[in-house]
Amino acid sequence: MKAWKRLLALGALGALLTGPALAQYPERPVTLVIPYGAGGATDISARALAGPLGKLMPKPLLTVNRTGAGGATGSVSVANADPDGYTMLAARVGSHTVNPAMKATLPYTLDDFVFVGVYEINPVVCAVAESSDIQSMDDLIAKAKAEPGSVSFSSSGVGSLLHLAGAMVLNSFGVENPLETATHIPLKGGGEAATAVLAGTATFICTNSSALASFVANEQLRPLLVTTPEPLEGFDAPTASSLGHEELEQLVGWTGIAGPKGLPDEVSATWRDWLSEATADETFVDQMTKRGSVIRLMDPQESQDFINGQYETFRKLVDDLDMRIEG
Amino acid sequence: MSLMDSLALGFQLVFHWQSLAALFGGIVVGVFAGAIPGVSATMAVALTLPFTFSLQPIYGILLLLGVYKGGIFGGSIPAILIKTPGTPASSATVLDGYPLAEQGKAGKALGMALYASCTADLISNLALILFAGWLASFALSFGPPEFFTLILFSLTIIAGVSGASLLKGLISACLGLLLATIGLDLVYGTERFVFGEPDLMGGLNFIAVLIGLFALPEIISFVWNPSDGHDKVRSLGQHHATFEEYKRSFKSIVRGSLIGVFLGSIPGIGAAPSAFLSYSEARRNSPRKDNFGKGEIEGVAASEAGNNGVAGATLIPLLALGVPGDVITAIIIGAFMIHGLQPGPMMFIANVDIIYALFLGLLVSSVLLFFVGSVAIRLFRFIADIPRSVLFPGVLVLCVFGVYAVNNSIFDIVVMFVMGWLGYFMLRVRMPAAPFLIAFILGPLLEDNFRQAMLMSGGSFDILFRGPITWFFWSVSVLSLVALVRNEMRERRSRLAQEAA
Repeated sequence: MKAWKRLLALGALGALLTGPALAQYPERPVTLVIPYGAGGATDISARALAGPLGKLMPKPLLTVNRTGAGGATGSVSVANADPDGYTMLAARVGSHTVNPAMKATLPYTLDDFVFVGVYEINPVVCAVAESSDIQSMDDLIAKAKAEPGSVSFSSSGVGSLLHLAGAMVLNSFGVENPLETATHIPLKGGGEAATAVLAGTATFICTNSSALASFVANEQLRPLLVTTPEPLEGFDAPTASSLGHEELEQLVGWTGIAGPKGLPDEVSATWRDWLSEATADETFVDQMTKRGSVIRLMDPQESQDFINGQYETFRKLVDDLDMRIEG
Repeated sequence: MSLMDSLALGFQLVFHWQSLAALFGGIVVGVFAGAIPGVSATMAVALTLPFTFSLQPIYGILLLLGVYKGGIFGGSIPAILIKTPGTPASSATVLDGYPLAEQGKAGKALGMALYASCTADLISNLALILFAGWLASFALSFGPPEFFTLILFSLTIIAGVSGASLLKGLISACLGLLLATIGLDLVYGTERFVFGEPDLMGGLNFIAVLIGLFALPEIISFVWNPSDGHDKVRSLGQHHATFEEYKRSFKSIVRGSLIGVFLGSIPGIGAAPSAFLSYSEARRNSPRKDNFGKGEIEGVAASEAGNNGVAGATLIPLLALGVPGDVITAIIIGAFMIHGLQPGPMMFIANVDIIYALFLGLLVSSVLLFFVGSVAIRLFRFIADIPRSVLFPGVLVLCVFGVYAVNNSIFDIVVMFVMGWLGYFMLRVRMPAAPFLIAFILGPLLEDNFRQAMLMSGGSFDILFRGPITWFFWSVSVLSLVALVRNEMRERRSRLAQEAA
């Protein structure tokens, strides 16, 4: 598959050398870096998008996984690439708002990237095991306050959305020092984190709805809270705002396309057109909706504002709770 | 609905030419992808996933399962022929498979790998069908403390693969542990041995370490000394695995399959530790103990049974609980969800036809794997006939390509070459590479689970002794340590006696 694309790329390059010079972007294949592993949420989302996107683009789109360090390895490789539009990134909530807010030594900042569009939103859901005696957020908070140390939450690692989400939800519901009152148990990956709640290793988890959908449908996990403004289909739980916590609506997962700082405006405009057409593709929308995502394309300015807003919220929380990782 | 009705429904779904073709196609893709170093079974499944979106659910899932099973077997082909495990799961196969190829018995080793793989596959599938519910609840009782004790026990494998000198094995394991600490700390997220280098933040790539350690030293020593008898032709010869040998290894194959079933049904362990554990258990119980590591056919059988035994069992937590047992099943769960199926207890009620169709399909896959594998062995046998001066440059190119393909990173290639020189050095001082690899895989698991357990208990060690599972693993760990020390003493005594005489 890859070899075939590369061959095609070579052929395209050959045609380019013989034909008249084309001024229009793209003149050669475009690489889309996925900073997470094959089969993960970002990978599936970016590859599903690459389907319709590849048909629109006049030159091939190469999707490559470059994994490691919670998305940092792939992200930094794009941040350091030439801003010519031939190396783009499938950016994710973990790599681009949580990590920058939490990690002092991250080899990039938000300013190193230009966003051409956020196209997918993943609602966040908090859940406990079905066998647990916790029936509601109030129960959970009461338990955490009554016996400090008795409540724990699992995450897919330090600096992941799940890590921040657990702390943010507890804090927002009035637990003063969530990381001292409750125990954070980092695991390797989102699947393990959900399993930990199922097996009783951790009390609760806050993560993307898609990661919990089948557990909730199978009545293995009980949802306590969703962060979307509207109730979420398949999750019988109150919304954050109905419980009086609108601020938690900031807590959502997302995927978007970004390029290195200094990306030319016409490249950005071209991508916006491609994205608006690709995200309207029925098969793509159908696939992603089935996985529990909301497909909604934001234009570059809206994307940038959305991401900066989320970053500021997270950063403030991190500073308040002293969660910043130095060194 | 009775069992018969469910089976009949499943039959209708599976015994179509389309589903058999999907399964067959998947196995073919898997065997060939697995046979290319660097293209692991995981990558093959991930690359096949998009093709399943447009297929009917049952065809799509059978296709993916075919790739998975084929990939795990395919990895043993380069492990035996060119000392390069095609997937991490077949690292243990190298230990005896490559020496056999050196002796001109590659055909024997490949044949045994296939027989052991198919037998283990069948046992694993039967375990899935018969004991899924029971094994799944057993798997859920594995929290960090249980994991910690299980891995502690597994570390005793190091003694089994150390070869002549336990001390050298331990040094090798320590090196592996040391390199495994590179990256980000699990609990605090701080950097360890990163030196400000973003490429090191994610730790060393496992495939790069694996290929560097096993395949490169062989090539480097050939370049160093091309004339030392290296150019003898190693044909597959007339050596086939005989029924006699299969019968002799049968106990090890069944033992390996059961180890695979247990480890596979527990989420998060994977096929490589299972293969090593099966190998070291086979060695411990074999009357031909001394021949292990020098080309013992039973060693190949045990390793391959260990890694293929996992392949059916990882579906136990997937189907019974909706929990993916490893990266591959995490990808397969995505395929279920794309088709609106939600694996878990409810699926046994809502989509029982698909569940039974999968069961039947899996049983058929063991048979198909046997035929596809036999053909693949015949095709790949020519590799054994190629003179090294032609073969090794080709292998080197393949290694570089494979390692680059994992993460599209030049840095990984550098890691591979550095590990290659380290491996060469270890080869020269006769330090075994297998303990290094085992420590590299198990070390981080041991640390993570220990620290998670400590977080759970608030720092109290009592949690490491909770429940019968932890006690069981503590006892077997102590038992194997005692046996180890006793063996070592006995050997030393007999050596002294020999010297005196």
